[in-house]
Amino acid sequence: MAAILPNENASQASLLPSVERRERLRRIRGIRDGISLYGVGAAGFGVIFALALIFFYLFYETFPLLKPVSMEVAYEISMPGDEEPAPTVHLTLDRFEGIGGRFSESGAITFFSPETGAILTRKQVNVPEDASVSAFGRSENRRSLFVYGFSDGSVLPLKLEYDQTFPEGVRVVTPRLSFPLGEEPMRIGDRVQGDYTALTVVEGRTGYVVAGGNRDGSIAMALFSARRNMLTGEVQISRQDYELPAISRPVRQLLINETLRNLFAIDDRGLLYNIDIVDPNRPRIIEQVQLVSDGASVTAADFLVGSRSLIVGGSDGSVSQWMLVRDEETNVPHLTRVRGFRQHPGAVTFIEPEYTRKGFLVGDDTGTVGLHYATSGVTLKKIPVSGQPVTRIAVSPINRLALVKGEDSDALRVIRMDNPHPQASLSGLWGRVWYEGRSEPEYIWQSSGADDAFESKFSLVPLTVGTLKAALFAMLLGTPLAIMGAIYTAYFMAGPMRRIVKPSLELMEALPTVILGFLAGIWLAPYIENNLPILVSVLILLPLGMLAFGYGWTRLPTHIRHIIPPGWEAALLVPVVLLLGWVAITTSPWIEVAFFGGSMRQWFTDVGIPYDQRNALIVGLAMGFAVIPTIFSIAEDAVFNVPRHLTQGSLALGATPWQTVVGVVLPTASPGIFSAVMIGFGRAVGETMIVLMASGNSPIVNFNMFEGMRTLAANIAVELPETSVGGTHFRILFLSALVLLVLTFVLNTAAEIVRQRLRKRYASL
Amino acid sequence: MDGTDTMSQQTTLTHGMGDKLFEGMNRTKLDIAREDICVEVKDLNLYYGQDHALKNVTMQIARHRVTAFIGPSGCGKSTLLRCFNRMNDLIDICRINGEIMLDGSNIYDRGVDVAELRRRVGMVFQKPNPFPKSIYENIAYGLRLQGVKDRKVLDEVVERALKRAALWDEVKDRLNENAFGLSGGQQQRLVIARAIAIEPEVLLLDEPASALDPISTAKIEELIYELKDQYTIAIVTHNMQQAARVSDYTAYMYMGELIEFDDTLSIFTNPARKATEDYITGRYG
Repeated sequence: MAAILPNENASQASLLPSVERRERLRRIRGIRDGISLYGVGAAGFGVIFALALIFFYLFYETFPLLKPVSMEVAYEISMPGDEEPAPTVHLTLDRFEGIGGRFSESGAITFFSPETGAILTRKQVNVPEDASVSAFGRSENRRSLFVYGFSDGSVLPLKLEYDQTFPEGVRVVTPRLSFPLGEEPMRIGDRVQGDYTALTVVEGRTGYVVAGGNRDGSIAMALFSARRNMLTGEVQISRQDYELPAISRPVRQLLINETLRNLFAIDDRGLLYNIDIVDPNRPRIIEQVQLVSDGASVTAADFLVGSRSLIVGGSDGSVSQWMLVRDEETNVPHLTRVRGFRQHPGAVTFIEPEYTRKGFLVGDDTGTVGLHYATSGVTLKKIPVSGQPVTRIAVSPINRLALVKGEDSDALRVIRMDNPHPQASLSGLWGRVWYEGRSEPEYIWQSSGADDAFESKFSLVPLTVGTLKAALFAMLLGTPLAIMGAIYTAYFMAGPMRRIVKPSLELMEALPTVILGFLAGIWLAPYIENNLPILVSVLILLPLGMLAFGYGWTRLPTHIRHIIPPGWEAALLVPVVLLLGWVAITTSPWIEVAFFGGSMRQWFTDVGIPYDQRNALIVGLAMGFAVIPTIFSIAEDAVFNVPRHLTQGSLALGATPWQTVVGVVLPTASPGIFSAVMIGFGRAVGETMIVLMASGNSPIVNFNMFEGMRTLAANIAVELPETSVGGTHFRILFLSALVLLVLTFVLNTAAEIVRQRLRKRYASL
Repeated sequence: MDGTDTMSQQTTLTHGMGDKLFEGMNRTKLDIAREDICVEVKDLNLYYGQDHALKNVTMQIARHRVTAFIGPSGCGKSTLLRCFNRMNDLIDICRINGEIMLDGSNIYDRGVDVAELRRRVGMVFQKPNPFPKSIYENIAYGLRLQGVKDRKVLDEVVERALKRAALWDEVKDRLNENAFGLSGGQQQRLVIARAIAIEPEVLLLDEPASALDPISTAKIEELIYELKDQYTIAIVTHNMQQAARVSDYTAYMYMGELIEFDDTLSIFTNPARKATEDYITGRYG
């Protein structure tokens, strides 16, 4: 026997390196250990740091949404135009906040610096002889269109424009008055004479509509159109008068919306007459609406930008928003109160809407000025400005400066505001909001529209629901296939076949999702739409056909079955699946003709199921395809790594392979399978390209498999390039990214907790 | 007997050690009465791919006796044991020819229900392998496989099996706790309890005590001794003393061959072969 005894070489000289060399080696080893220890630590910390940085950046971009509004009286300037003592009828500010304008009752318009109060220029409009200014009206702020009414019954519309010049590279803004209907005052109708109590002007497609009302309740309306003579260059003005029904009490305010469909006349008790002027030759009063509670009267009212909703302030300090809401049954729009704002301490005296969004300033008779926002329904700030009732407020078109005039005051107070994101409120982002033009409060995502008057709709609910919907349908398709495949591959499949199948499936993961999305959107979606029965027949045929084939196989004589080596039986299914697929495709038109009247898509519409070409089903198919490799790979590893001694223990107890799978393998592999599913779900939630291309991107809130969705990720991809950096929309997109991150974070944390529990329970030795 | 004749032919084979150790020696003829034979191995050859792992093994295992298999690592004793309940089927490259008769019928016949075979021939592995379930469920598992659902029956069987495996007193208060909470020795007895709960005829023990401390080992040995009145036991062990203590018959294997098979007393006191003696006395191995 050639046994080697351990001490055989003891007497010989040691073959190990010398003591010094070993000492040096130990030192080097120590250094290497240290480097690797700190290196690994630093890398790990770096990963966490990078993640924290992403979080921090998202927070940093989102944070301004949460910043509270600042609003303060910055300073006051003496009332410009001390040589012009007539009372002020209107105040205005330009968009560079460098020019203020004061319209006075004498017809003088004084432009001044809002910083110092110094007078810049002064203009005077023509006031008819022996007449005085009796009323003043304005169109929406952004139109800068005004109308003076004189005691002789004539009116003078005027426009205020600002010219920009850049002499020597410095911007110089000069105010300019223009008179679209000429500088001479003119009459509106003969029925209503002078001393208007209310006046308004709107620019329509065909000309300018001016309406005036007086103490008796009569209302006159005229359409002025200017036509320029092509040959002489002379401007010819034509007037068309319309007879409007009178109201029974003095007219306090007149409002015409931009669509020229409705004229609202408010009387001195707060009753609003909604007069239909779609056909101005046949005007009729549609309804009378009491705008404030009994005993109170309407003391101020104005349209928000876009003239779709009306803000009403009452003598009791109430502030409310009204708009025309179509009756679901009769389809007739009625003026409806949609929301109220926080009450003011005194009677509302003036309402100043912002130029480009749905905010407005409200002044009351205690000198308080409040800043409100319609869409979110919040009162952002309320500050005392002067001890006297507020009579006029002017806000700048960029919402940073406002002028406030108190009654009897010789001074203007200048308010400085910082209010960049009034719309972002918890209820606005996550609650139902009653938007303009909608018949009820809804969850809507519609971030931008054609013009400034568009009310942005930033509800994150459709996006979050869409994200979950897409992920759900993807998981519905992917999970069973992936897990069943994983069990079969890991447990039943012959080794050589497994070594082909597993890497091939994992290779599927490398398929760019943009290709999947492209195929799903461009080819699969229209194909499925035209061959809908395939879905149904494949769903029935494939499992049943495979089962039937399996049963038939077991019935075959043994010597035939033994041709196929054990574990390779799955390969037999390939032609079966192909054949069944072919059968489903070729029978599809027959089924459509036989059962669905020729078109299953039409049939869906007929039975009342909405069907979009790009729908959750398509997304589920494409994204399911994308998540299968992820789930399969991890689940397969989990099943394959179930210790052999456990499966053998089970088999040795007389369990069949299937009993072993159910009784021992699956419970033991459950933590791994669970994390596979969760990782797949995480991938489906964050997946962008497939949903972007195959979902139709319609932000709807439902779980109908035949309708599309818009996911958080796709929404960011679509909208981020076209949003203005730093704006509310931009920041809300960052917020939605944060929501997405938090969503996956929460999901993964929950999954990890469950997984740890499972692992503890099924920990194997 | 046919079997012993075949074996005697093997004497011409060498151990690869060069010298003719076996010359002039005759193996003791083993007489097991036909009705006492539980498992009979006839000309069993087993190949792992190209590797000839078991060579012409022929032997008998006596009913309600303990048969020990000894031999150096890799000699094929575990492989032979795994043939008795066809656990080798799980290895793709494994080929077997020859016969193993269990109560007169060949377990390698086509049409044999392997799951049912394994119920009749239970097995305990070297490493305790309780399932990641409660103690109760570990025992009940085998019964549930057989379709037993009645809670009362299950309770009864669990208690009986645990008592039989001398584990009842230690675990009766924590039947619903995870089996991993048990010590190694307890786990191994649990696995034995799990195996006997389904009333097998043969119990195969593959080095059941090699991973255990001496006290646990003693308990297992005691248990084996107690179990043999009901079960036919085949045990693979590396521990000579254990083989001597617990077994009635001992088979010595080397390089896939059955070198010597006799009653334990003869093997340990008067081995017929020099190789057996060398192994037993520790001069080889």
